[in-house]
Amino acid sequence: MTSAQLFYVINLLVYAGVDIIACLGLSQQFGVAGITNFGFIIFQAAGAYTAAILSLPSQGANGGFQSYIGGWNLPWPIPWIGAMIVGGLVALPFTFLVGRRLRGDFAAVGLLVTAVMANLLVTNYRPALNGSAGLSLVPAPLQGEYNPQSQGYQWLYAAVTLVLAAAVYWLVRRVTESPYGRSLRAMRDNDVVADSLGKNLLSLRTAMLVLGGALAGLSGAILVGFITLWAPSAWGYAETIVLFAAVIIGGAGNHRGAVLGAILVPVAFEEATRYIPSIPGKPGLVDDLQWVAIGLLIVLFLWFRPQGVLPERRRRTAVGRPRSVMPNEDVVTLAGTGPEPRRSVAVRSVPAPALPDGGPLLRTVDLTRNFGGVHAVAGVSIEVRRGTLTGLIGPNGAGKSTLLAMLAGTLPVTSGRVIYAGSDVTTLPAYRRARIGLVRTFQLASEFKRLTVMENLLSAVPRHRGDTLAGALRGRRYWRGDEEAAIDRARALLDRFGLSGYADTYAGDLSGGQRRLTEIMRALMAEPAMLLLDEPMAGVHPRLARQIGAQLLGLCAEGITILMVEHELAIMDEFCDPVIVMAEGSVLATGTMAALRARSEVVEAYLVG
Amino acid sequence: MSLFLASLGFGLVTAAVLAIAAVGFTMQFAVTDVLNLAYGAVMIGSAFVAYWLNQAGVNVWLGLLVAAAAGAVASVLLNRGIYAPFQRRGSAPITLVIVSLGMTLIIEFGLQAIVGGTSVSYTMSQGPTVKAGGLVLTTVQLVIIGLSVVVMAAVHGLLRYTKLGKAMRATAANRSLARNCGIRTDRVVTVTWALTGALCGVAGTVLAINDGSFGATSADLFLVVILAAVFLGGPGQAYGAMAGALIIGLATEISAAYINPSYKYVVAFGVLLIVMAVRPGGVLGATA
Repeated sequence: MTSAQLFYVINLLVYAGVDIIACLGLSQQFGVAGITNFGFIIFQAAGAYTAAILSLPSQGANGGFQSYIGGWNLPWPIPWIGAMIVGGLVALPFTFLVGRRLRGDFAAVGLLVTAVMANLLVTNYRPALNGSAGLSLVPAPLQGEYNPQSQGYQWLYAAVTLVLAAAVYWLVRRVTESPYGRSLRAMRDNDVVADSLGKNLLSLRTAMLVLGGALAGLSGAILVGFITLWAPSAWGYAETIVLFAAVIIGGAGNHRGAVLGAILVPVAFEEATRYIPSIPGKPGLVDDLQWVAIGLLIVLFLWFRPQGVLPERRRRTAVGRPRSVMPNEDVVTLAGTGPEPRRSVAVRSVPAPALPDGGPLLRTVDLTRNFGGVHAVAGVSIEVRRGTLTGLIGPNGAGKSTLLAMLAGTLPVTSGRVIYAGSDVTTLPAYRRARIGLVRTFQLASEFKRLTVMENLLSAVPRHRGDTLAGALRGRRYWRGDEEAAIDRARALLDRFGLSGYADTYAGDLSGGQRRLTEIMRALMAEPAMLLLDEPMAGVHPRLARQIGAQLLGLCAEGITILMVEHELAIMDEFCDPVIVMAEGSVLATGTMAALRARSEVVEAYLVG
Repeated sequence: MSLFLASLGFGLVTAAVLAIAAVGFTMQFAVTDVLNLAYGAVMIGSAFVAYWLNQAGVNVWLGLLVAAAAGAVASVLLNRGIYAPFQRRGSAPITLVIVSLGMTLIIEFGLQAIVGGTSVSYTMSQGPTVKAGGLVLTTVQLVIIGLSVVVMAAVHGLLRYTKLGKAMRATAANRSLARNCGIRTDRVVTVTWALTGALCGVAGTVLAINDGSFGATSADLFLVVILAAVFLGGPGQAYGAMAGALIIGLATEISAAYINPSYKYVVAFGVLLIVMAVRPGGVLGATA
């Protein structure tokens, strides 16, 4: 090979490493955590600019033909570290867009807009970063000590880049293949449900934005150290789309897919098209068609193979392997020794604070919710006594689900108070209520589709050592104990609900009834003191519905308090006592079903409503 | 003071162009549930249809009508061929946004491959300059403002007084409920794509007229301004989009008179980001 060819190979290797790091960062945000960051390129740009101004000499000493802030002439690796820090810090202001408040697609648009705006600002404002001309003559790392033009230096540069790419791969794998990563994927599949199970969405999203931002920043620093210049034209918003194309094609949510995508799209595809001779009289035609091809690839892949070339791997929980049968001291054995011994290992719940008078575990005071002018719930005051299976019935539109959502914190109240275990939780966010034992399920199917049944269950485990970023980074050894205990509990629940054979099935592939069961089991894994169930038997075969009812009674006997919305009066007759009747946003009556059936206004509300 | 009045005039024209585009975009989103980022690409494509006719000697205002038809046809095809199949499959809204970005690349750069990277202009007269109350506008600018007022009135009439408008509002509020009430929502959705596509075509052409020259990727930045107006008014709110367009149009042009004109869109972006952070449902317009 001639030295020009060698240089080209080195070039490709560096580009591949840079794109792999960037794609891994994007895949972590988009594929794992479900954050569609259309502004990803901003973070790479921030890293590149940071590395540039940290390593450049002051602008006067640099010939004075370009103007920029900084110019501290700092030695490697400080510019690269600075790039990562700034890339991560730049992410912080964006957290308000991807927090809990904004729909995912709206946040994506906001990030896209930000990318366009940032580029426009930097292009037009020359003093800070030399405007549209960009920064050039950026020193290569350690160029004082070594000759950046030498082949040895260049090989070393490529090697360092690839080693860093490998390190990043190891890092994102460690984060993703942990209980924390499971929480991220749960949030990706259904954020409202993850919130109701105690996941702090804002914290999860912030962490992923910062991590992805730092990785993007690193990729920018490596790139600028190699090509020694950086200008706004290098980071148009469309460059983000190229990275998205890479991640989608390679396989979002699978880090090997991100690596493959990085090699296929920004490197191989763009290099291959470079050799197409330009057509005389049609300047830029090849470039244009290249963009068209990127667009086509995105649309075609999303249609024909949305999971990408390398789909997300199914995580199995060592079914065949013998597992420890040692009783874990963490697991409280409840319900004693019935005729079915497998029922014995069951539910661990937050010990609800003992109330002196055995009063209600949950009560509301004048709870009200308005939608526009409609009073969906109007001044509801109810009490749910400890250890009961309380029913909540009423015709369509009575406000049952709205009430439940307010109790769980999914929906803010218009006025009134919610008191749980003696303390006012009216303004407590849903995830914090879940953490003190107040856990809800949803009327519509709410399983995490791309998690297995086992993972669905494990995702709800509270206080898991591996369910923090720090815990995940400390590695499997740190959290294996908690994981094994959780798996044991999950297995016991699966046995109890008769779904042992489905542990490694994707929840999205289950039947309607199985999903219902999965959801109840998952709620139980959250160690609730009180369960709020929204039509847990809707669309379920009557026989299975009665089994679920029996299970719920069993849970109450074990000390869990349940408030259940249900339409089926027969279910109420058999299992619920007391029953609260709602109509048109208000409580109509409370009592046993037998007593309620004797009251004409209740019967009327049902027949007329 | 004359600087202020001059920029006010420009602001009104920009707002007029923006209103047509933003109302089309927001109604499209409300009824079809697609956040169609390829809207800007369709705008420019339609503007080029008018350009080709213009080159063949057709008056640009006649070309505007053809561009409206082109926008309508393109939008219906875009939905039939791309978005509707994804929606039928139950794809997440965010998937459709990514698909629409992909379509943006295909349309814009496909167009650029045909027309080349240089900018073009319509052959037309700007007409005599009109002065009114300190404002100085060309006849063409006045026509654009007038056209926009007519379009807004037509949209208002459609939504308030016609059966189709009611059906559109019902479909926007709850598609399955509307279907159960006997509304043929599939047809309403298709008609909406046609109508908003026509608005898109008109908006693209008046944008091209107003800007003087345009190229295949000219709408990229303008799309972001449209988004700012739409989100300011509340996504899916037609009257909100009108008010949002007026505010953004005036804010960009008036700020351009006093700060570096290169930053005028930054004002729009800043407004958009603040709105998203503070009031994700939009600040203006309660119902539409």
